[in-house]
Amino acid sequence: MDRNILRQTGPATWEIPVSGRMRVPARIYATEAMLDSILADNAPEQAANVATLPGIVSASFAMPDMHWGYGFPIGGVAAFDMDEGIVSPGGVGYDINCGVRLMVCGLERETVRRRIEVLMNALFRAVPSGVGEGGKIETDRKALRAIAVEGSRWSVANGFGAAADIENTEECGCMAGADPSAVSDKAWERAADQVGTLGSGNHFLEVGYVAEIYDEPVARAFGLARDAVTVSIHCGSRGFGHQICDDFLASMDRATRKYGIELPDRQLACAPVRSPEGQMYLKAMRCAVNYAFANRQAIAHLVREAMAGAMGVPVAGLRLRTVYEIAHNIAKVETHVVGGIERQLCVHRKGATRAFGPGHPLVPAAYRAVGQPVLVPGDMGRCSYVLVGTEKAMSDTFGSACHGAGRLMSRQQAIRNSQGRNLFRELAEGGVVVRARDRRTIGEEMPEAYKDVSQVVEACVAAGIARKVALLKPMGCMKG
Amino acid sequence: MDRTDAEAPDWLEYVDHTADEGVRVRADSQAQLFERAAWGMTSLLYNPSTVEARYRDRVRVEADDREALLVRWLSEINRLHQVRHRVYCLFNVRTISETAVEGEIGGEAIDSTRHAVYGEIKAVTFHGLRVEDRDGAWSANVLFDV
Repeated sequence: MDRNILRQTGPATWEIPVSGRMRVPARIYATEAMLDSILADNAPEQAANVATLPGIVSASFAMPDMHWGYGFPIGGVAAFDMDEGIVSPGGVGYDINCGVRLMVCGLERETVRRRIEVLMNALFRAVPSGVGEGGKIETDRKALRAIAVEGSRWSVANGFGAAADIENTEECGCMAGADPSAVSDKAWERAADQVGTLGSGNHFLEVGYVAEIYDEPVARAFGLARDAVTVSIHCGSRGFGHQICDDFLASMDRATRKYGIELPDRQLACAPVRSPEGQMYLKAMRCAVNYAFANRQAIAHLVREAMAGAMGVPVAGLRLRTVYEIAHNIAKVETHVVGGIERQLCVHRKGATRAFGPGHPLVPAAYRAVGQPVLVPGDMGRCSYVLVGTEKAMSDTFGSACHGAGRLMSRQQAIRNSQGRNLFRELAEGGVVVRARDRRTIGEEMPEAYKDVSQVVEACVAAGIARKVALLKPMGCMKG
Repeated sequence: MDRTDAEAPDWLEYVDHTADEGVRVRADSQAQLFERAAWGMTSLLYNPSTVEARYRDRVRVEADDREALLVRWLSEINRLHQVRHRVYCLFNVRTISETAVEGEIGGEAIDSTRHAVYGEIKAVTFHGLRVEDRDGAWSANVLFDV
């Protein structure tokens, strides 16, 4: 996209003005330095395409970690009027409720560092990853239906984790309105052996530590102190969510024609929020949302057991507490103030994180005074961030911020660039012990394949949609 | 070869995409196009030449048009790979129209000592999807969410 089309509207905010069939502007969050690489990608055009969808409110947003997706850009946020607007599976993505959990541990950083190789080996054995690896948690159809309705509560009720984990999970780990009757047999089949599995691609398990605190009072509220050991889990709803998205893209394709919706890209297939097709998708999507919550909860349990074994302490001795768990591929009916009026909207976040500000009733009670934790994983070599949501995010982006670093290179380009290098050794020399099924995955996921997450975070901070709380650095990373 | 150790035939190109991956396939008929697209998709995950056709699975899908039909065909093959934990090397289309395809795919159970399976395809997308027939010269572009 030509840079001249953009109009700067704030320190890290750019706007693609309304043109053609756009109903609202597209707003891009980026620093000046990031702009060239963003414009070289197709994400800005995709944000403009989203702006053409019926009932879109305020603007089509693209967070600074945006990159070219399919239909909606990754890093896209769009809110739709409940009566005039649409819901789109492409605005959520295939990996429904892909998300991140951050846990903080009571062990000393040096104690963990000394045993990091043993710990990473134990985690690699305990948490199934990659293709063909079934989960260790047996689930029949009845259990799967319960998971789809109860989410993390099912995991805790079945011995995987503690009630305290749920309190610090978005939606308390259970999204209301899930209806298993909306889910196809094929989706149930794909759900069967995947509870407690990490998957592949960019999904990971990371052991790290708090390297820097930027906001002491907020960090204290989140239970984060300098040198505290952390564990992050990044994964989603696995084949169950993929199949649900796939099933509904087909029905939405027909619905798009039925309701006379003109689309610039077929992957934007959608239906009016209140239509039977739209409601059916939301019911099924919520099943996948809950499955992903249950999955991360089960993985957290496997992590606790493996970590206790590797560190030679009882599980309770780890004091491995959930700081927060967030979704970054989801559509939710939320209440927001638009032009001074409170409205219910269907907010799509695809590769974007909810970032509610202080005082919001949906922020866990323990954090409500300061705002919602926003977890922003970087790549496996550099760092990750914990941010906090702001009032400005509420007014500007429907309470949304970035979700990660965002890819810079295609996977093939990353593999080409990594040839001849021993990334396992390079990362180990940098203090990060990596475990993966094969070298190729590490090549695809090498640090340089991603944007510098610090730049992404600085753009959010400059735009005022999140504030920095803590910097995390990795000690060990397991890739699917 | 960037992806697996599979040797890319001259009718297949791999397409770079920031987050995902794709294939561009050429063929002499719609049936051959579907067979080759299936081979191209699986070659992103593993080398089909390391696979023996010990089992046959039947694939039958319908869709509203030929673009959606290709997505459904590939999605079903990907689903069978994931659910049955099988890898495939043979793709035979028996009957095909604009809106329905029936075929048989041959493969075997994943054996980690012989099959290196790299990652997974979450879904076959409609993004940038194109199926063209220019006087019998068929081509298709398909992107996969990986």
